[in-house]
Amino acid sequence: MTTTTEMPSRPSRFRTFRAKFAGLLLPGWSALVILFLFTPIFFLIAMSFNDFKTIFVWTKFSTHWWGDMWDNTTMIDALVTSIEVAVISTVIALILGTLAGLALARQPGRWTAGFVALVLLILVTPEIVDGAGQLSWFVKLDGPFRDGLTPIVLVHTVFSSAVVTLIVRARVAGLDDRLEEAAADLFATPMKGFFQITLPLVMPAVLSGGMLAFTLSLDNVVATSFVSPAGTTTFPNYVFGLSGGVIRPEVAAMSTVFIVGTLVAIVAVAIVLRRGGQSGTEIATTFTGN
Amino acid sequence: MTATVGATASGPPLQKFRLRWPKFALAIPSFIWYVFLFVVPVVLVLVNSFGTKVTGTPGKVDLSSPTLERYREVVDGSFRTVLKQTMETSILGTVLCLVISLPVAYFLAFKVGPKAKVVVLALLMVPFFTNYLLRTLAWKIVLQPKGFVSNLLQDSHWFTLGQTLRDGPIQILDSRSAVQLAIVYNYLPLMIFPLWVALDRVELHLREASKDLGAGRIRTFLQVTMPLAMPGIVAGLVLVFVPLSGDYVTAKLLGGVKGNMIGAAVAEQYFNAQNAASGSAIAVSLIISILLVLAVVAGVAWFAKRLLAANRKVTVPER
Repeated sequence: MTTTTEMPSRPSRFRTFRAKFAGLLLPGWSALVILFLFTPIFFLIAMSFNDFKTIFVWTKFSTHWWGDMWDNTTMIDALVTSIEVAVISTVIALILGTLAGLALARQPGRWTAGFVALVLLILVTPEIVDGAGQLSWFVKLDGPFRDGLTPIVLVHTVFSSAVVTLIVRARVAGLDDRLEEAAADLFATPMKGFFQITLPLVMPAVLSGGMLAFTLSLDNVVATSFVSPAGTTTFPNYVFGLSGGVIRPEVAAMSTVFIVGTLVAIVAVAIVLRRGGQSGTEIATTFTGN
Repeated sequence: MTATVGATASGPPLQKFRLRWPKFALAIPSFIWYVFLFVVPVVLVLVNSFGTKVTGTPGKVDLSSPTLERYREVVDGSFRTVLKQTMETSILGTVLCLVISLPVAYFLAFKVGPKAKVVVLALLMVPFFTNYLLRTLAWKIVLQPKGFVSNLLQDSHWFTLGQTLRDGPIQILDSRSAVQLAIVYNYLPLMIFPLWVALDRVELHLREASKDLGAGRIRTFLQVTMPLAMPGIVAGLVLVFVPLSGDYVTAKLLGGVKGNMIGAAVAEQYFNAQNAASGSAIAVSLIISILLVLAVVAGVAWFAKRLLAANRKVTVPER
């Protein structure tokens, strides 16, 4: 927010008072929007320090819920499930998405348009529609599809691998394929060429794609709520299930852990990418799926 | 797998490897995955919407005599009102997101130095990556009858708009306004980033040329910047409007009975009524409504573009 007060506007020859005032409008508006975006998050975190038994009525400051939350085994289980699902679905999404992204960029043909259309269709279909369909389908298939982490993981891999595919494709399309040719000319086996040339070059995309897949999985509620088998739930869905009744501040405390944990993971990936020579703007572009 | 990998990694010298595999070999696993986990389920929704619920079973659908009865229920029943409300909320929500985001995206793209830009982007990314459900839950705290917003409206003397506002606790929760507010909030970051990327790709020299040729700020914006950024703006609009229309978490958490959205009706049919046929028909109706709105908007946009082009003296090179 410090940026908004002294924004470096481009030099103008006729800088009048009016222009100066107009120049404050955009940064002022942006600051307000950022404030708006942070407000509820601030309240959620603040409520984890509430003494009372619900997050909806503030009484006085206390940190006791930060200790009490570890005794809520259902909540801890849900958190562990969330992380397990996110890790497994990210690995699957990375394998599928990297391969498909490579194929799209390096082996284009008549199939490309159809495949890209399918990927985009997956990304724009309202989750409520595929979630409902996946539930009906999994009920038909039964067995492992209605048990444990499997259905949740499967559903998460669909959209996260679609995102990884697009990111990897964009990266590979921007690479010079003569590097790979050179490796082959220098007698690198296809395996060696892939692991020593292609993969390191694609790595930034794989990293950002993996980060996105991971956070998309952690974020998912709708599809998860449809396919979750009895007895298995993720942390957001656990909270969703509570939403009709009293929500204790321990939920706010765990939410804070969840939010901060996600941000730490993102910052870690951003730092790695930064070291790899990407600019902050480039990182922001890929991270937001653009 | 290894041979396939090699074929992609290498160029012409290894032509022989390529011959054994079709070009899309590396995409085959994804393709099978998507057919199995996306295409089949979506087709199943479509098929089920023509069926009838088998009473007494958890969500079984009888497809022996296909019927349009479920759609008739949607059109005649209360679902139509909810569907209409949902579309209103979604259209207004998307427009509000655009109006609120555009100045922020413009500011980010043209008015901030490179270092400050990274700071602002990082700030915007925190809410973007904060869990969606938790952000919505947070609004429930803020909008409580005795919560922050209510107290602010009552205590402050900015609002002298009649005593009613300041008398009792203010009921914002469980209403359409609460859903509208939270939905705009939830989808705002999803709009800001595509708009920023779209504007960021507009080349500065085209804007400068426009100004050198005597166009003012507003005219440059409307006739040069906006048309060039249009593909990105359209992408942002679609990416916000479509998921927003299918949203059910926000409505369920904050909407109560009055703020119901069609997504919640679909979930209700699946989970409580155990009626997959009806739920499917509502879901398909949602998709049809979304496509209708998009088609109408596309038509209007096409017409407006023709009208604008006719009145424009200078054309901007399309890229």
